[in-house]
Amino acid sequence: MQSWRRRKSLWLALSASWLLLVLLGGFSLLRLALPPRPRPGAPQGWPRWLDAELLQSFSQAGELPEDAASPQAPHGDSCNWGACFDTSKCRGNGLKVFVYPASGPISETHHRILASIEGSRFHTFSPAGACLLLLLSLDAQTGECNSMPLQWNRGRNHLVLRLHPAPCPKTFQLGQAMVAEASPTVDSFRPGFDVALPFLPEAHPLRGGAPGQLQQHSPQPGIALLALEEERGGWRTADTGSSACPWDARCEQDPGPGQTQRGETLPNATFCLISGHRPEAASRFLQALQAGCIPVLLSPRWELPFSEVIDWTKAAIVADERLPLQVLAALQEMSPARVLALRQQTQFLWDAYFSSVEKVIHTTLEVIQDRIFGPSAHPSLLWNSPPGALLALSTFSTSPQDFPFYHLQQGSRPEGRFSALIWVGPPGQPPLKLIQAVAGSQHCAQILVLWSNERPLPSSWPETAMPLTVIDGHRKVSDRFFPYSTIRTDAILSLDARSSLSTSEVDFAFVVWQSFPERMVGFLTSSHFWDEAHGGWGYTAERTNEFSMVLTTAAFYHRYYHTLFTHSLPKALRTLADEAPTCVDVLMNFLVAAVTKLPPIKVPYGKQCPDAAPLASGGPGPRPKPQAPAPDCVNQIAAAFGHMPLLSSRLRLDPVLFKDPVSVQRKKYRSLEKP
Amino acid sequence: MSCASGPGGGLRHPLRCQEPWDEECEKEAACVIMCASVKYNIRGPALIPRMKTKHRIYYITLFSIVLLGLIATGMFQFWPHSIESSNDWNVEKRSVRDVPVVRLPADSPIPERGDLSCRMHTCFDVYRCGFNPKNKIKVYIYALKKYVDDFGIPVSNTISREYNELLTAISDSDYYTDDINRACLFVPSIDVLNQNTLRIKETAQALAQLSRWDRGTNHLLFNMLPGGPPDYNTALDVPRDRALLAGGGFSTWTYRQGYDVSIPVYSPLSAAVDLPEKGPGPRRYFLMSSQVGLHPEYREDLEALQVKHGESVLVLDKCTNLSEGVLSVRKRCHKHQVFDYPQVLQEATFCVVLRGARLGQAMLSDVLQAGCVPVVIADSYILPFSEVLDWKRASVVVPEEKMSDMYSILQSIPQRQIEEMQRQARWFWEAYFQSIKAIALATLQIINDRIYPYAAISYEEWNDPPAVKWGSVSNPLFLPLIPPQSQGFTAIVLTYDRVESLFRVITEVSKVPSLSKLLVVWNNQNKNPPEDSLWPKIRVPLKVVRTAENKLSNRFFPYDEIETEAVLAIDDDIIMLTSDELQFGYEVWREFPDRLVGYPGRLHLWDHEMNKWKYESEWTNEVSMVLTGAAFYHKYFNYLYTYKMPGDIKNWVDAHMNCEDIAMNFLVANVTGKAVIKVTPRKKFKCPECTAIDGLSLDQTHMVERSECINKFASVFGTMPLKVVEHRADPVLYKDDFPEKLKSFPNIGSL
Repeated sequence: MQSWRRRKSLWLALSASWLLLVLLGGFSLLRLALPPRPRPGAPQGWPRWLDAELLQSFSQAGELPEDAASPQAPHGDSCNWGACFDTSKCRGNGLKVFVYPASGPISETHHRILASIEGSRFHTFSPAGACLLLLLSLDAQTGECNSMPLQWNRGRNHLVLRLHPAPCPKTFQLGQAMVAEASPTVDSFRPGFDVALPFLPEAHPLRGGAPGQLQQHSPQPGIALLALEEERGGWRTADTGSSACPWDARCEQDPGPGQTQRGETLPNATFCLISGHRPEAASRFLQALQAGCIPVLLSPRWELPFSEVIDWTKAAIVADERLPLQVLAALQEMSPARVLALRQQTQFLWDAYFSSVEKVIHTTLEVIQDRIFGPSAHPSLLWNSPPGALLALSTFSTSPQDFPFYHLQQGSRPEGRFSALIWVGPPGQPPLKLIQAVAGSQHCAQILVLWSNERPLPSSWPETAMPLTVIDGHRKVSDRFFPYSTIRTDAILSLDARSSLSTSEVDFAFVVWQSFPERMVGFLTSSHFWDEAHGGWGYTAERTNEFSMVLTTAAFYHRYYHTLFTHSLPKALRTLADEAPTCVDVLMNFLVAAVTKLPPIKVPYGKQCPDAAPLASGGPGPRPKPQAPAPDCVNQIAAAFGHMPLLSSRLRLDPVLFKDPVSVQRKKYRSLEKP
Repeated sequence: MSCASGPGGGLRHPLRCQEPWDEECEKEAACVIMCASVKYNIRGPALIPRMKTKHRIYYITLFSIVLLGLIATGMFQFWPHSIESSNDWNVEKRSVRDVPVVRLPADSPIPERGDLSCRMHTCFDVYRCGFNPKNKIKVYIYALKKYVDDFGIPVSNTISREYNELLTAISDSDYYTDDINRACLFVPSIDVLNQNTLRIKETAQALAQLSRWDRGTNHLLFNMLPGGPPDYNTALDVPRDRALLAGGGFSTWTYRQGYDVSIPVYSPLSAAVDLPEKGPGPRRYFLMSSQVGLHPEYREDLEALQVKHGESVLVLDKCTNLSEGVLSVRKRCHKHQVFDYPQVLQEATFCVVLRGARLGQAMLSDVLQAGCVPVVIADSYILPFSEVLDWKRASVVVPEEKMSDMYSILQSIPQRQIEEMQRQARWFWEAYFQSIKAIALATLQIINDRIYPYAAISYEEWNDPPAVKWGSVSNPLFLPLIPPQSQGFTAIVLTYDRVESLFRVITEVSKVPSLSKLLVVWNNQNKNPPEDSLWPKIRVPLKVVRTAENKLSNRFFPYDEIETEAVLAIDDDIIMLTSDELQFGYEVWREFPDRLVGYPGRLHLWDHEMNKWKYESEWTNEVSMVLTGAAFYHKYFNYLYTYKMPGDIKNWVDAHMNCEDIAMNFLVANVTGKAVIKVTPRKKFKCPECTAIDGLSLDQTHMVERSECINKFASVFGTMPLKVVEHRADPVLYKDDFPEKLKSFPNIGSL
């Protein structure tokens, strides 16, 4: 009985194990035999091949390097940069441009454009020394066409510049010449060789130009989402509440109540739809850009202006005209951050490259120069963020950190040291006190003295721990802003020997400059104003509630402005400064304001009493009383710039506890407040 | 925004079994069964001795068989097999040799040759890409087939390892769809990576018979080695009509800009050799050429350079006398010196990549991997992904004609730029060259960006190495612009129930000339705001917004009622600010529209003892925050605060009813990279910090809380974005020796 029970339990155990075995084994056998069915719903991907590891490589080992070489450049029937441009002529002095003189009587515009190129740093008068020969083809509307010039040489190293689409028949073969023309069609455009220009209206200003229309960063509430470019000119703002595709003729629905603005008025909307078919629409593109209306280009058949260097994805949207609803939905749902960025970029680009004929031509030359420079060309960042490549010279540096404009994007900080540059003009007393005050600053790295008067150099200089360099020679006033190679820091404290500053003034001003490295930080100010009576600009050094300039006899600014002053300003302006020395301050302020589009910064200047009178006997006063330059100076410079870049500020940056009725012990810049 | 994701974002619970095919899960189950059978083993033999010997042997044998079987089954079931199957549960497992064979009749149609005028808007059918909320194209891959001609001779190798990897990568990506009807882009499984391994006409016929071929519209072919001897065309010779070509080695003549995609030639060495990153800086050789099979003319030019510049130039060639078994691909020689390739590339600053028979060279990938700056000498070559990658930052392109000047061109590049290029070269390799997968995904991304341009990836995302992306700040209000004064500002007063004080604030603020609207945010749900007639009569519109919940973040909501760009946030107890102070504050904001411009200044400090941040409200020489109890800022920051605040900060602030002002300071400083501006000397406010009647103890807990906030926010942002400055803004003539009545803002200066 017991054994039977035992046997029974044994059998039970045995059969249970068998069952388990059969179940487990059978299941796995089943899995082997039948390929598993994919679970429904899951996408069936590319199979994992069992023998994937055994597959051969697409290129057999040894095959890659064994390519039999035949140095036969692949050739086509058109030109590219490597094949058709001879850079050997440009070695040494960079891009030098010779402009063919016009053959017959020329229009006023042509004349002024010629003058503008001749005034630029690219120009040369000798066709032999030039690396680029420029053929202006401007007066198309007058019906004149250029004939083949003398040094044509099959068009090698030539640039044919057509600002307006030419009705001219091609009177001669272009050969190897590059073409810069307005809105070239995508099919005829040779990327990296031709240059695409914007489609300029006839009355485009030559110089300066109207600023962008945008007055605020973000779109006004209630502004129309879309403006549509009309075939007969003008814009129509569209209501986008309806789901219709407002620009597509195939849509049967009415696009809703629209408002038509005729004539040349600028569109007032967030996005501007521009057809890509008609080349005339390209002129609308520029209009939209100026208005800060984000251009939405529908399948453009033409090349966008300066597409070689400008990243248009930051300022415009290129969309497919075949997907109207999707584009509309995408525009409606676009994040405020993106809209904000696009809007601001339109304004920057307009202002930097398109607002005047001069800018367009200079940009064209800069594009070609960048090709010649190769690795020393402008990095993309310099082209695509303020102040733009025309104002950020790649000859200064190709590293964005070296400029005052890109610290944020680069995650870098301005240097913690400065160089003091002291100009000693007549009567020529060594500025001993000043040197000591400046050398006392913990941020000072070096002192440079520009000895610029008749007197011989003093034999002894005050003993300071600071390295002191004396640059001797009778110099022009504009040499104050020469980019001396001995300046080793980014920050420069520009001083006149007659200035008087205390160490804590210098320290505080420098700390402020570090927060605003692209601006000028100064102690003494002056301002400009519109003089109704004379119909011109006026200048005053009186103390007022606002200011637009700081005097460079005591100011911090970035070393880069010396390079810009010397290499980018037209020669005529620098001559003006040399002839009327008081103009040099105004000129420098104009330059910095034109670059930054911001006012300078004023910091407190403590000394109201003449306790720091220079040792000079013949000085005009205890401290350089800012002399009012001839008002003409402001007007002449404004005319040369083509606009008035100066901006006014109503604030002064003081130390946080400045003149507060609290214990002096708390204050870091105590001596700033001493009477 | 340069903020880190919060800690613990990607934590998994390793042992929680959620999915039936979870690997861990099955292992555990296996263990349970094994343990059970061991127990069995122990109990079993205890019964046996009482049985007859004959039976005993019988049972023992039986048991052993069962046990062995069980163990074997268990092993088979759950061991290595299970790991594989758990991953690929749903994927077909077959051999490449078993794929269906398709016979191509000799007279089957051949596509037209490539159409050189193709552009996206002419040859590409966008309608297939339809509406797509994610802005992602859908890619379909044709099933693998083996194509043979009439005589049964295969048209090509069925598939190469790399093409299989490429299709696997696409199939694993978000782009993939298995529904041919929903696809926007079709990728044939016909492998055309290397033109030399296929028969051109028959491959074209195979393409033409694909089910959705339709003249090749929306079909994407990948080819890395185009052309064949003797003239080596720079694009795939297989007629392909309108199909897009992702090709390695395009020239300007064959590349259809904006239609084709130029891709790298994958270097199989990338996978085989692990070159650890070598930091930038000067290297042993300035210039190196390691190419073999160069045309004698080029080699002469290079050797001339070596003679001229001596040690700094190294020209390598193939080794002639290598012993058996050594891979010639992995060795290079100079005279009798043998070098390991590609390791030797790490010894050079610049590496020459010359045009061989083909324009595209796999060597470019090796050079980038070694962090060597490629000197590309191949006229008209379209560099890989040149549509999006900025090669100026990672390479030097020298015209073939200028080869002899190469050395002086390279020497003119400043050292800092060279180091930048070295870093960039390595980053390009890591991001876009390293694997077939990287190449495939970059190609699809480029096509995707053309179809959904409004969602395209930016230049910076393509080109900036992660270190730069992390460190850089892109200010959302980057345009230098001084808004017109005429616009004015909107004052927003957050209030709960202090009606009397609120009315005083409204009256005071309404005296400011530039005020254009006043918005009262009524945060009390239990009480109605006073009747209309009771409110102070002011010259500008006054709106009351009632909120649904008493939350601090209501103050920063981007209300539709805000029409001006400038917003003045002001507490309902800030009654001491004069009209001059407020007007001046607005003027200062106009000059700094991208900053917080406010009156109460605060500072954060590093507490060395506690090793954490500390909040400081003493009157110090420095400022890093301004409190939003009285501050001007751009209304865009309201949008950012409400919708883009990183981590859980917004909820945290609402839950703790504190620190919304510190959060705003963090947000603005992080996104703009700039410091705040404190205006005017004013320091005493009847501020939230002094509400308690007996300030001291409460004050201390308050300071602790505020310090906690700073530490919490710094950890969420992953950095300390606040910037410390030593200045404040005063009117130009503040405290100057000047007649008061001539000053624009005379009523400024009390603490």
